[in-house]
Amino acid sequence: MIDNITEITKAELLSEAQKMASQKYRFVTSTCVDLGEDNLDVIYHFDKDTQLKNLRIKAKRGAEIPSISSVYLCAVLIENEMKELFGLNVTGIAIDYGGHFLLTPDELKNPQSKISIVKKGEN
Amino acid sequence: MNNKTTIPFGPQHPVLPEPLHLKLVMEDEKVVEAIPALGYVHRGLEKLAEVKDFTQNTYLVERICGICSVMHAQAYVQGIETLMNIEIPKRAKYLRVIWGELHRIHSHLLWLGLLADAFGFESLFMQCWRDREKVMDIMEETAGARIVISVNAVGGTRRDLNNEQMAKIVTVVDQIHADMKVMEGAFLNDYTVKHRLCGIGTLTAAEAYQFGAVGPMARASGVAQDLRTMGYAAYADLDFQMVVEKDGDSWARTAVRFKEVYECIRLIKAAIAKIPSGDFAVPVKGNPSGEVISRVEQPRGEVLYYIKGNGTKNLDRLRVRTPTFANIPTLLKMIPGSQLADVPVLLLTIDPCISCTER
Repeated sequence: MIDNITEITKAELLSEAQKMASQKYRFVTSTCVDLGEDNLDVIYHFDKDTQLKNLRIKAKRGAEIPSISSVYLCAVLIENEMKELFGLNVTGIAIDYGGHFLLTPDELKNPQSKISIVKKGEN
Repeated sequence: MNNKTTIPFGPQHPVLPEPLHLKLVMEDEKVVEAIPALGYVHRGLEKLAEVKDFTQNTYLVERICGICSVMHAQAYVQGIETLMNIEIPKRAKYLRVIWGELHRIHSHLLWLGLLADAFGFESLFMQCWRDREKVMDIMEETAGARIVISVNAVGGTRRDLNNEQMAKIVTVVDQIHADMKVMEGAFLNDYTVKHRLCGIGTLTAAEAYQFGAVGPMARASGVAQDLRTMGYAAYADLDFQMVVEKDGDSWARTAVRFKEVYECIRLIKAAIAKIPSGDFAVPVKGNPSGEVISRVEQPRGEVLYYIKGNGTKNLDRLRVRTPTFANIPTLLKMIPGSQLADVPVLLLTIDPCISCTER
């Protein structure tokens, strides 16, 4: 039900972000969705004259995804957040908080990821 | 010789009602680098939303932030209504505008008061907050609570306004309008205030766009961007006029918020004049399924809700991007090069809501 959403690959992300910037789109934010079994959806939202355009990439938890902060510096906060809360391995963030943007060293890893409950004896 | 000094600004600081930390790298009194740090009060509400059902989440999202609670709930219920193909009654759309704009007035008056306090005008601070109390009293009379008023619900609103209440609202907003006219000279024309605000923390239109600024931050830099122009709720019927300034400095951001209070008052009066009679809610059946993005213009700017339903009462994902989260990166541009004494005012002019940011 989301209008204007295009599925792209990780390799296309930077060039697509550059296209958006050249067309004067504003970076709104990114959304990471845990689909279970270490599959993640990452949606990048851009806006121009109140019209949204969205790019979706699919990734495995821990897989490398290039940062778009070289194109949109304002993406640094959300990229650090996705890295910590979902375990998305965003590389080359302009300001990388090293896993401590929101989390302290003694907190859970990737606290926003789906939690599956395994019954005793099934693992 | 390296004569740089690093000093912490916050998380506890007299100018900050909520905890935000800035690592400031200084050369004498001049800031050369500023790195923001968050996470002091992060609550994980997006995760909590996955275990609450979709109707309970209306009240959960209101608690992301008190100051814009009505508009958090509005963005959320609009998204759920789109997913479930619910057409709400027209009266509910007008009611959402009235309560939403009242919230915008009290948010802007709160901020104007804090700014006045930051530059040392304590009487002006008290005048702003005195008028804010009038809005709080309306909230209490019409919804039973001062801040988190829980009027929005999936399918419409939980409460209605009667004619006496609407007449009182018009009287009160007229009083606020008159009081604002008295304060206008101090906020927008006073020599000392201008000295503290003009030319401080300038953000050009290109920079505002590049750093993802939203709301009054963007509009003060000449970027004509306000989601109310999309006409959600009843805004399409109310001839909404956007407030835009060009200078991009702290004074322009003050002017945008100050003048927006006048526009809020005009919108409230227009909505009350035009509100249709009839129901204010429709029954809701079923559960949301699919993905949707819902956006609303809060006092601090655009809020974005991404909602993913799976056909059950629980959601797969609720994501919230609040306006302060979008405006924090502008500090990376505005603070370097400024004097340490200007940092509190600069930080205030983004109208930081850490409660929203640390959702």
